[in-house]
Amino acid sequence: MIEMLSYEFMQRAFFAGILIAILASVSGTFVVLKRYSMISETLAHSALVGVAVALVAGYNPLWVAVIVSVLSAWLIEYLRSAFALYSDAILAILLSGSLAVAVIIVSVGGEFNNSLFAYLFGSILSVSGEDIVTIFIFGFIALFLLLVFSKEFYFIAYDEEVAKTSGLRVKLLNYLLVTIVAIIVALSIRIIGTLLIGALMVIPTVAALQYRVGFLRTSLLSLTFAVISVIVGMTLSFYFSLPSGATIVLCVLSVFVLSLFINKK
Amino acid sequence: MSIAFKSPIFDVKNLNFSVGGQDILAHISLEIFHGEYIAIIGPNGGGKTTLIRLLLGLEKPTNGTIKIFGKDLKHFKEWNKIGFVPQRAAQVDQNFPATALDIVKMGRTSKRKIFSSETKEDIQAVDDAMAKMDISNLKDKMVGTLSGGQRQRVMIARALASNPEILILDEPNTGVDIVSQQNFYKLLSKLNKEENITIVFITHDIGVIADDIVRLFTINQKAIVCNDPKAALSCEDMSELYGISAHLVHNHKHEHSS
Repeated sequence: MIEMLSYEFMQRAFFAGILIAILASVSGTFVVLKRYSMISETLAHSALVGVAVALVAGYNPLWVAVIVSVLSAWLIEYLRSAFALYSDAILAILLSGSLAVAVIIVSVGGEFNNSLFAYLFGSILSVSGEDIVTIFIFGFIALFLLLVFSKEFYFIAYDEEVAKTSGLRVKLLNYLLVTIVAIIVALSIRIIGTLLIGALMVIPTVAALQYRVGFLRTSLLSLTFAVISVIVGMTLSFYFSLPSGATIVLCVLSVFVLSLFINKK
Repeated sequence: MSIAFKSPIFDVKNLNFSVGGQDILAHISLEIFHGEYIAIIGPNGGGKTTLIRLLLGLEKPTNGTIKIFGKDLKHFKEWNKIGFVPQRAAQVDQNFPATALDIVKMGRTSKRKIFSSETKEDIQAVDDAMAKMDISNLKDKMVGTLSGGQRQRVMIARALASNPEILILDEPNTGVDIVSQQNFYKLLSKLNKEENITIVFITHDIGVIADDIVRLFTINQKAIVCNDPKAALSCEDMSELYGISAHLVHNHKHEHSS
């Protein structure tokens, strides 16, 4: 463990990974309770469009991923409120649409295929110093907003209409939540990868829900599961040269299966 | 009980609501005053819930005006003066991670300022609301494990936590047993008489509460306001409303409509 942490790239990976585990699990609690789990998958594919554009244009992929992902989140919320469309259908349409756009961009600039692979599945080797600064700044803003508005997000997740009749600005708060989720998803793609970030947002909360405890305890359990999975996953990834995102997801899946059997009725 | 009230809480004038050219509600004009205890009855699909949704700003009327506490609904901001208990109150998601206390605390959310933590006033209001509903002993119980009647009380405690002036309940008894229903009506009557909270609720079992209510709104696309509920219960309007021969029995033990 000490040997592993003597490498600078591993220190960066652990810092980014733990921060992302906290962010993904805290935001994931609200997303799961709102029955909006698939939004993380859709936003991750939108972030991939940002990565593809950045690789072709020579910009920092993380920044462009954040911008495209946030724009996509706003589009989802707009479509959900302005048209009579099913929420899951909107997510499916944007997911496929984003992937199609990303594939076209990548196929035009074919030499980027290798670096794109790291964004799809995550790589602990890929976190640069600049990425750390970006993750730190955006991550702390996102965490701050999540904590400040947690009681509002919880109420809306429980019953959106009653929350609205109590005077909460539900529409604005919904936009805020998807914006925060979009930022977190985009920040996560270095470590976890586009195709796997949804798992880190959803599975820790679903595992925590099996214990049937109040909101605060559920959130803390979810956070603990996510952080442990990231630490164990990245350690295994380092020693066995495994892709970090996939290893983290298998760890969190193990926690989920264990929780399911421990709490079997 | 006399109806000597000042300015209305709700002032509805010539309200129309139609979907796809079909009228759901037409020419509704009514007023709800401070301290009243009002029941809304009518057949399924008659527009009772739609009326409540319009009053709460959840639907936009096709025509007409709604004033709340003297202000046009569009400009009304003091929503925490209104407590709302929706139709599905007793049917909560079994897996939702919430204790009874978590749910009641939600009632204070819109009163709390951004960045401020829970105040003594918040804690007191939550405790009081739970005590009024006689659920203080259920604080740490998960809502999924509570009975229908207990959940119903939790939902009303949440609505009471913001110290509302009016409580609006949409068929709150769905999925609740008869004994709990009767206790529930006693509680509503107590809130109205002792706390001076205006109560408006949609119900099917009008016979049970007929002795307490002040006015009755019967809704079937149009509204008929009966200022004397006891007279209304035997009036011909009931037959007209339901489209069949209908009368209600004034009896606490045998509430019934046929």
